[in-house]
Amino acid sequence: MATQYEIPIGAQHISLLEPLHFKFTTENEKIIKAEANVGYVHRGIEQACCSKFKFRQVSFVVGRVCGLCSISHTTCYSQVIERMMSLDIPRKAKYLRMLVIELDRIHSHLLCLSHVAENSGFEALFMKTMAYREFSMELLEAVCGNRIQYDYSIVGGVTRDLREDVARMILERLKTFKPQLDELVDIYGNNYTLGLKNKGVGVLTKEDVYHLSAVGPFARAAGVPIDVRNETEDRLPWKEVGFEVVTENSGDVWARNMVRLRELYVSMRIIENVINGLPEGDIALDFKGFPNGEAINRVEAPRGELFYYAKGNKTQILERLKIKAPTFSNVPSMVHGFKNNEYASAPAIIGSYDPCLSCTSR
Amino acid sequence: MKLNKYRKKSPWILHYNAGGCNGCDIEILACLGPKYDIERFGMINSGNPKQADIMLVTGPVTKRSRERLVDIYSQMPEPKVVVACGSCTCSGGVFRGMYNCEGGVDQYIPVDVYVPGCGCRPEQIIAGVVEALAKLEQKTKDIEKSIRLDRSPQINNGQVDRREIAVGIAPGKVFG
Ligand code: SF4
Repeated sequence: MATQYEIPIGAQHISLLEPLHFKFTTENEKIIKAEANVGYVHRGIEQACCSKFKFRQVSFVVGRVCGLCSISHTTCYSQVIERMMSLDIPRKAKYLRMLVIELDRIHSHLLCLSHVAENSGFEALFMKTMAYREFSMELLEAVCGNRIQYDYSIVGGVTRDLREDVARMILERLKTFKPQLDELVDIYGNNYTLGLKNKGVGVLTKEDVYHLSAVGPFARAAGVPIDVRNETEDRLPWKEVGFEVVTENSGDVWARNMVRLRELYVSMRIIENVINGLPEGDIALDFKGFPNGEAINRVEAPRGELFYYAKGNKTQILERLKIKAPTFSNVPSMVHGFKNNEYASAPAIIGSYDPCLSCTSR
Repeated sequence: MKLNKYRKKSPWILHYNAGGCNGCDIEILACLGPKYDIERFGMINSGNPKQADIMLVTGPVTKRSRERLVDIYSQMPEPKVVVACGSCTCSGGVFRGMYNCEGGVDQYIPVDVYVPGCGCRPEQIIAGVVEALAKLEQKTKDIEKSIRLDRSPQINNGQVDRREIAVGIAPGKVFG
């Protein structure tokens, strides 16, 4: 048996955006065991939401759980309260929520892809993807007023209407983005050098996904078609605006890249359909009363299924709020995916997991 | 000294997330990208504290990350400047008073530039970093002063006036 070495990555590392600690046990460059340590960012948001903030303020606080998918958090929280209070929000608000969720998905996926490219050592592709990503940030700023932390969903609807000129601008920008996306698909799919770094690396098979209950693009890359947008119809009408599930079969880093890229085509289609079929009406609902009882809700965040549980007791302050973020479900499969890979490919694998630690530890 | 000249022309950045929501981190990443392109000031993101001159911190410092933060800060060589990016980094922001956070980075390490906003825009980050460059230059000068005096020591009655030298290298002036 060769000598075993323990190599740590993190909490601060150039390939990590966030504090995350992995401990690898390696044998001749091969990783034979990995341990993850994810709790560096725990801030105590759940407790503060149940003691310090009123239930209408909480939707702004939970946005700060994660900067990448803040709209998923605010929407999921708003929906869980609406479910509890049996509010039926205007149709236009639903459409606008879908619009911002999909714009957010575009920017989050492109960020993840550029990060994978950088961690694989392909700096030029990182720059290219970041350059193409800027359009989505500009659109989000035009729609919501801020580049990140949109604070768009509130309990009962959304905060801003979509202006005519902004809608036109979105359609125009999507038209220019389409050839750029084709170019990215070509590079990520066919580039030989990137393929050496990405194909067959960090494989998670279909059985592993079922066994370790992975969610999101992670599971879809292994051929398991789980997507909350496919399963829930009552709160947001996804099927109406042309949603379909994207899957790949090989389950490696390359497949995860391709799933993310092909989901962008679906997102673009949804955005176009939302703008073309935007209903007339109010953007928010006036309501009285306080939440009472219990409710759960799920939303498909860019990284997978986001789950909220809330319990109210007829006061301004909630009794309990529970957040389960997608990366939390993915931690066991993340650890499993490292096994029998070269240590040198660990940064690319971490990038392709797209971990969001501030979601995980709240 | 040549080294100091190039340190100003090409400062290297160290980025640490001390418990923020990622929002400001992705804006820092956007600064490194082609649109805002912080590299035109000669800055590159280095993952190694021992090579870094400017530290960009985000997040309200959770109890678990504070030791790492202080550790990384103390590994950076002098002169160094710290830029706090984001409201929650400056004062705790929305996380102020939560049980696992402290109110801001400046309770643990000295902060030179505060960049407000939740999340702070890339333009603001660039302005903050350019401000930090001026501070870096000032700090470099202060350190040099402790080695080379402004004017040659006065000689009184054939003896060096020691009080003049002491003023030149007062510790408050050097590091503060
Ligand atoms: S200032 Fe706001 S956007 Fe930036 S890290 Fe803090 S909570 Fe997130």
